[in-house]
Amino acid sequence: MTRRVAIIGAAASPNGKLQTPQDAPLQTLEHEILAPLVIEAMAVAGVPKEEVGALVFAMCRPYTLQKYFATFMANYLRLPLEGGIMEVLGNGMTGGMAFDQAINAVALGHADVALALGINMESQAASAEHAMSTMRATGDVDFHTIFGFTPIAWYAMDAVRYMHDFGATRAQLASVAVKNRRHACLNPIAQFRKPLSLEEVLSARPIVEPLGLFEVPPRGDGAVCLVVCAEEVAKARGTPYALVRGRGFFHDGTHQLSDVPNDMTAFSAAQRAAAAAYGAAGIDPGDLDLAELYAPCTIVEVLASEALGLTPRGRGAAEAQAGGTSLGGRIPICTSGGCLSRGHPAYVTGLLTIYELWEQLTHRAGERQVANARLAAGSCELGNYNAALIHILEAVA
Amino acid sequence: MSLPFIDVGWARPWPPRISTFTKPFWDALREGRLMTTRGRTSGRLTFPPKPFCPHNWGREVEWVELSGRGRLYAQTIIHATPAAFIGEAPIRNGIIDLEEGVRIAARILGEPVLDGSVECVVLRYTDGPLFAFRAAGTAHRL
Repeated sequence: MTRRVAIIGAAASPNGKLQTPQDAPLQTLEHEILAPLVIEAMAVAGVPKEEVGALVFAMCRPYTLQKYFATFMANYLRLPLEGGIMEVLGNGMTGGMAFDQAINAVALGHADVALALGINMESQAASAEHAMSTMRATGDVDFHTIFGFTPIAWYAMDAVRYMHDFGATRAQLASVAVKNRRHACLNPIAQFRKPLSLEEVLSARPIVEPLGLFEVPPRGDGAVCLVVCAEEVAKARGTPYALVRGRGFFHDGTHQLSDVPNDMTAFSAAQRAAAAAYGAAGIDPGDLDLAELYAPCTIVEVLASEALGLTPRGRGAAEAQAGGTSLGGRIPICTSGGCLSRGHPAYVTGLLTIYELWEQLTHRAGERQVANARLAAGSCELGNYNAALIHILEAVA
Repeated sequence: MSLPFIDVGWARPWPPRISTFTKPFWDALREGRLMTTRGRTSGRLTFPPKPFCPHNWGREVEWVELSGRGRLYAQTIIHATPAAFIGEAPIRNGIIDLEEGVRIAARILGEPVLDGSVECVVLRYTDGPLFAFRAAGTAHRL
């Protein structure tokens, strides 16, 4: 049994520093941030709490003290469930997989209404110490981590190769950060809302060359709750919703680096996942009104936009600089401000992606609203981990 | 023929774990040879070395010596390093396509150019070896 699935409600915290220092006399607690978002998202959805049959959480960071956070929250919310409850983890796809599994719970008939939710708290962990953990997620601990690679170091190498292969310039890449900051200035939940100039991006201190401070993700916290349901539940409400039109996934069987030389910047997993998602939705990339991409670095947005067919291969950076991917441009990308400026609480970033598309497709996006937004793509794309999960959503008024 | 050695006066920031299977790799590197495995039935190389062939899951593999010669595919300079690597920061790491058709990642010495010829060297840290690459025929050190 499979059913069509819709999004009927959502709520998100502001992104930024929500976590308190370990020795602060008053602490912010994850459940006290997330529970009000659940109640708010359900109020938007307009369905009673008894209808919720499944909870799918993005796993918490190791800095969250409470373990078995999912059932803890079900207790905190007093929420019996007949469909299922779980915490999922899938690298940077984690948030997207929580959404995907909530869709499955509904599509398979395990629940009529399911919540995809999560909170990512990490801002109090010092970057060099946090990197001691994240470096073990890049490549092979015994053959790559030994050299000091960090996750964004691989993206930096993508940037070097991309500029070499296609003649893209530093300014073209940097323009992605400027554009995303412009979008974030219009987003009330964005971590950074002060305008950023191209000169500031180009002169920022180097983090992983050629990428500087404003071209790599900020550290931050965030929390999101999405309400998904069977389309008949959404229809019965009589208010606008976002319908899940298609889904695509691909992992190419490599982790970080293929020992069989390939075109590393082609992001072939994203190409395959996008083709599957467009096929399922019966659309072409040209039909999309906007796209929200998982792009922790400027170069990743460029490569993902090309892999998804939103910009021509080798032209993604130039198109960004020319304004084609800005609000008001041919295909607005990362209208939320993206990972770079909306914020990148990594395990819930995939949920924030869908949150932005929900806002756009139900015309709640205020000053950053894409006019007549009807079809949108959201991607969780793992770059050099070579996996991608892509959803196509449609506005139904 | 042995790869060039470069002595490094401190210990490896994040030493690899060594298993019964990978021990021959690290022992050979200590002696100046870069090794990996080849599937006996597939005839295909893989890196890092594996006790089976990932291409056809054949269970018989043989150790083979790599030339250490290749071309630089990509590189970066990491300024924001993990805590353990702060003593070596900034560090230049890169991706190398070996002439045997295998892609590997490693530390880079000097400032080689993309697609330029590079050669493998053995960094002799006080606690054991790591491999690195530099522009072919140069004398760059860590």
